Amino acid sequence: MKRVISLRSFLLLSFLLLARPCAGLAANLDFGLAPQNITISTFYNGTSVTIDGAAPEGSQLVVRFSGLPEKIAMKQKGKAFGLLWMNMNTLHFDGVPKVFLVESSVPLKDLGAVGPTLGLEGLTDKVGIEPATADRAMLLPELVKLKKSEGLYREQTGAVTLGETANGLQKFSARLAIPSRLSPGDYTVEVIAVKDGIIVAQSSQPLQAKMVGIPALMADLAFNHAVWYGVLASIIAIVAGLGIGLVFQSKGAH
Amino acid sequence: MSIPMELYLPIAGNSVNIVAVFGLGGVVGLLSGIFGVGGGFLMTPLLIMMGIPPTIAAASDSNQIVGASTSGTLAHLKLGNVDVKMGVLLLVGGVLGGSVGVQVIKLLRAMGNADFLINITYVLMLGLVGGYMFIESLQAMRKAKAPAKQEPEKHVKSSAFGRMVGMLPWQMDFERSGVRMSPILPLLLGGLVGILSAIMGVGGGFIMVPVMVYLLRMPMHVVVGTSLFQILFTCVNVTVMQASTNHTVDFVLALILLVGSSLGAQIGAVAGKKLGGEQLKILLASLVLVMMFKILYELLARPDVLLAYIGGH
Repeated sequence: MKRVISLRSFLLLSFLLLARPCAGLAANLDFGLAPQNITISTFYNGTSVTIDGAAPEGSQLVVRFSGLPEKIAMKQKGKAFGLLWMNMNTLHFDGVPKVFLVESSVPLKDLGAVGPTLGLEGLTDKVGIEPATADRAMLLPELVKLKKSEGLYREQTGAVTLGETANGLQKFSARLAIPSRLSPGDYTVEVIAVKDGIIVAQSSQPLQAKMVGIPALMADLAFNHAVWYGVLASIIAIVAGLGIGLVFQSKGAH
Repeated sequence: MSIPMELYLPIAGNSVNIVAVFGLGGVVGLLSGIFGVGGGFLMTPLLIMMGIPPTIAAASDSNQIVGASTSGTLAHLKLGNVDVKMGVLLLVGGVLGGSVGVQVIKLLRAMGNADFLINITYVLMLGLVGGYMFIESLQAMRKAKAPAKQEPEKHVKSSAFGRMVGMLPWQMDFERSGVRMSPILPLLLGGLVGILSAIMGVGGGFIMVPVMVYLLRMPMHVVVGTSLFQILFTCVNVTVMQASTNHTVDFVLALILLVGSSLGAQIGAVAGKKLGGEQLKILLASLVLVMMFKILYELLARPDVLLAYIGGH
């Protein structure tokens, strides 16, 4: 624990030192992450990331956890011959992050004009769909619905708490619940301070999720030694099946 | 500190409750031990409901069936229910048919509208197989209650097909099944089932079982054992192929499932022995019909979300 804190303060310090010269929007918004990286071990079942920092006084805060924007191919469900629902044409979505979690101190719609652009609405506005003739108004809410049902997209309030103010700075902390359905990879935590309908400060930090222990070993085997992995999986299954079968029969015989 | 109940699946990229997965394996294993079907048609949708991506659910399920069918085959071998000669012939036919089926599906995909065809084949096959089996075993059970009434009819019924089959060369005896036929017949039928199951993307146990009962005229108990024997090899093949080409086998998931289902298969094999052949048939027929209605419902009802990831059903 002590190491985590010292690492955090070290990073915070280095961040402060680095950020100062560029001034800009990040100048008066600093935050620290705990943990710095997410480890996915055998019993990983989601986790939480704590964000502590200070923002300009009087601002409301939006905290976002997102994955890299990706291109994904999907099938649109439609009615064949006006009767049967099935997968019809293929669509390509551009700029869809795997994960997009938004937590804010007040609902985004109460943050003025800029509010909704920081959430799911702002995200989907930037999503491209191929073919261009596709019905955006229908498809984008469906995409969000699907991602929400998987726990990968979220937009809510309650996780960000504002603390005391001092020297024109507003302390804040947030506890982000990270879903269990998390793939290893690079993610970003962003904090945006909004005051009177405009962004007054923003800052972001990278965060990496990586597998350790048995999951890491399995994934390495499955992707880098695929044939052996398949053969091994079959052999272990046969041995386990034989073992259980034999145990059962010797019991049954008595 | 409490005992962790959730386990992270490295390939599926999600965590699952160990007890729930174990229980699911047990129930499906029980069915496969009783009926000689792999149970993929039941397992895959339930895994998807638990948050496992469809392609990974299907491939890991094949891996699991390897364990369950090993356990089930062993139990049935001890009971004298496996016709190895017949099983090998069906298997060879199945592998050849499967390769043809994969090409057929590629052709259909290229032509478009493959999904529609797959779904329709699925519903029709299930309805046909389930309906026929159900009616046939119901009649057989009625006849058993009023015996010696229509005895000679049985031979007349099979004669047209029987004469054709009798004309095939290399007639040989299959002692375990108590039938005599040319090896060409099981090879051909195995091939046909292989094509169909490749098109539908399922193991094919529910088609293979009726084929053995009605076309190869094998006794129901031998059918169950032989089907499991055959499924074992089919699923080893699928597991290795899926793991090497698509990286969709999650061994952690498969291992928990297979411990559950191997136990279930043992209980199922014993339970099946207590049931009569006709009872087994009618139960399997009901299961197949229920599944058909479920798929039909999914086709007719408006889905919750109008988008699907590519790779799923």
